[in-house]
Amino acid sequence: MSRPFSGRKDGLSLSEALPDRSLFALVAMMGFLAALTLAGASGARALSARWSGGAAQLLTIQVPDADTALTTQNGPSATTTRVQAVLADLASLPEGAQIHQLTPPELARLLEPWLGETDNSALPLPAIIRVKLPPDTTVPAALEQTLNAHVPGTIVEHNARWGERLRALANSLLACAGLALLSVGGIATMITGLATRTGLATRKDIIKTLHGLGASDSYIAGRFAWRTATLGFGGGLTGTLVACPPLLLLLQMAAPFASAPQATPERLLPTDWQALANTIPPDMLCALAFLPFAAAFICWFTTQVMVRLWLLRLP
Amino acid sequence: MIRLDNVSWRRGKKDNGPVLANLSFAVPQGGFRWLLGPSGAGKSSLLSLLHIENLPTDGQMSILGKTVAQEEKRAALVRLRQRIGMVHQDYQLMPDLSVADNVALPLRLQNRPEDEIQDEVHAILKWVGLGERVDVPATRLSGGEQQRTAIARAIIHRPGLILADEPTNALEESQACRLLDMFAELSAMGTTVVVATHNESLVRRLERPFLFLERGRLVEEGGERA
Ligand SMILES: Nc1ncnc2c1ncn2[C@@H]1O[C@H](COP(=O)(O)OP(=O)(O)O)[C@@H](O)[C@H]1O
Ligand SMILES: [Mg+2]
Repeated sequence: MSRPFSGRKDGLSLSEALPDRSLFALVAMMGFLAALTLAGASGARALSARWSGGAAQLLTIQVPDADTALTTQNGPSATTTRVQAVLADLASLPEGAQIHQLTPPELARLLEPWLGETDNSALPLPAIIRVKLPPDTTVPAALEQTLNAHVPGTIVEHNARWGERLRALANSLLACAGLALLSVGGIATMITGLATRTGLATRKDIIKTLHGLGASDSYIAGRFAWRTATLGFGGGLTGTLVACPPLLLLLQMAAPFASAPQATPERLLPTDWQALANTIPPDMLCALAFLPFAAAFICWFTTQVMVRLWLLRLP
Repeated sequence: MIRLDNVSWRRGKKDNGPVLANLSFAVPQGGFRWLLGPSGAGKSSLLSLLHIENLPTDGQMSILGKTVAQEEKRAALVRLRQRIGMVHQDYQLMPDLSVADNVALPLRLQNRPEDEIQDEVHAILKWVGLGERVDVPATRLSGGEQQRTAIARAIIHRPGLILADEPTNALEESQACRLLDMFAELSAMGTTVVVATHNESLVRRLERPFLFLERGRLVEEGGERA
């Protein structure tokens, strides 16, 4: 037997007027898309930050035959090797520049992907000097010429040339991700608007009666908005959770490029999910956790506006 | 109290003819008025205006001493509506709710404590003879039971103004008499009551002043009718 009183019932029966099927499923799909887009945006942002920060200020200088004596106008120098000469010239760089010549083990690790873990001491390797310029300084334009005149064969690679392009690419990706997120939000708003309009249409007479009984606009709008917000939260959460496995997979595949060199995974599927989860960037984790709430807010806000506008037809 | 000065109301567009034209009358607080007239005269339309379901197209209207106009704050109109009890001609019950939940609605919308609500609802349902039907869904009630539920819902929150549209047409003779006695009693205690009917024999039972509408105009306003 049903009880005469069943809590705070007002006859709107919104679980039937706004059924969970359509809105929930559609918001879940939007949540899925948004989660993937967020991941892309997070990646693009990391790339952009890397290239606009440290990497753009890096110079790599190769000195072949590094340990050979420097040839001067008076013949081979007795005291200075070619690499020492280059290092001496680099002292004229802007103040604060960090200059580091790679040690043999560092060099070996750098070359390992190409040469393997063999003993490379027999190979004639050039000396590699990494120069990190302080922020807001530029490389002297004639650096390569100067070094070459002094120590012939020296190659100066300026990462900034690549950096500019990569940064532009990363920023465009970021803008695209932003536009995609805006579109997803817009579609979610439209879906919620349509669902709310259907709900209002089926409950027209009941809303009029409630209004006549003294229900305020905020009460009626709040009831509808709470319903769509709940559905939106559920949908957003479902979409985000469904997006997690493919995201982790992508992350797993991207891991060798993102962090320190490590052995290429033999299996596509990771064995240690826990460790993998730890590699998720924290800002992406925050954004994903925020998604269901954003979905709920979009639904809540859209419905509030729609219902309040609809109610204006009643005095 | 109620005061209307030259109030007209038209449905929808401006070029529609007025449903109510140039109505002027006043009912003091605690007054009782029969609202009479043939079918289609505009009785239901006038009651919906007094219930602030519609606003006058022209003229001045004040309900329970408050001016009602387009410019009025919506929240003020909501509070005013909470002080009116209305029995609609078609009852307007919530189909998904039980008798008790339907009757509890005005109190719930005023956020009264739940135990207080339950006491009030049981008392009033007993009075209208629905004490055994509290948990029946509104859709499974007979016409008379629906009408009594609508009456209970209209008076449970002790409104300052009661509007009733043909409130006895589905009731038995004895129930109609009890209802009229109650309206008379409420009016004596200070509630303003307006009852629309085209049932002359009902009017003869309770001799009170009347307003007579015809084609949307007030053609006669009189004292007690014998
Ligand atoms: N929903 C409606 N749409 C259009 N005209 C209506 C509607 N309801 C009533 N009317 C018209 O409005 C006028 C007043 O009707 P009403 O107020 O219901 O009269 P009464 O209650 O005295 O029978 C009548 O001419 C009627 O035909
Ligand atoms: Mg009528």
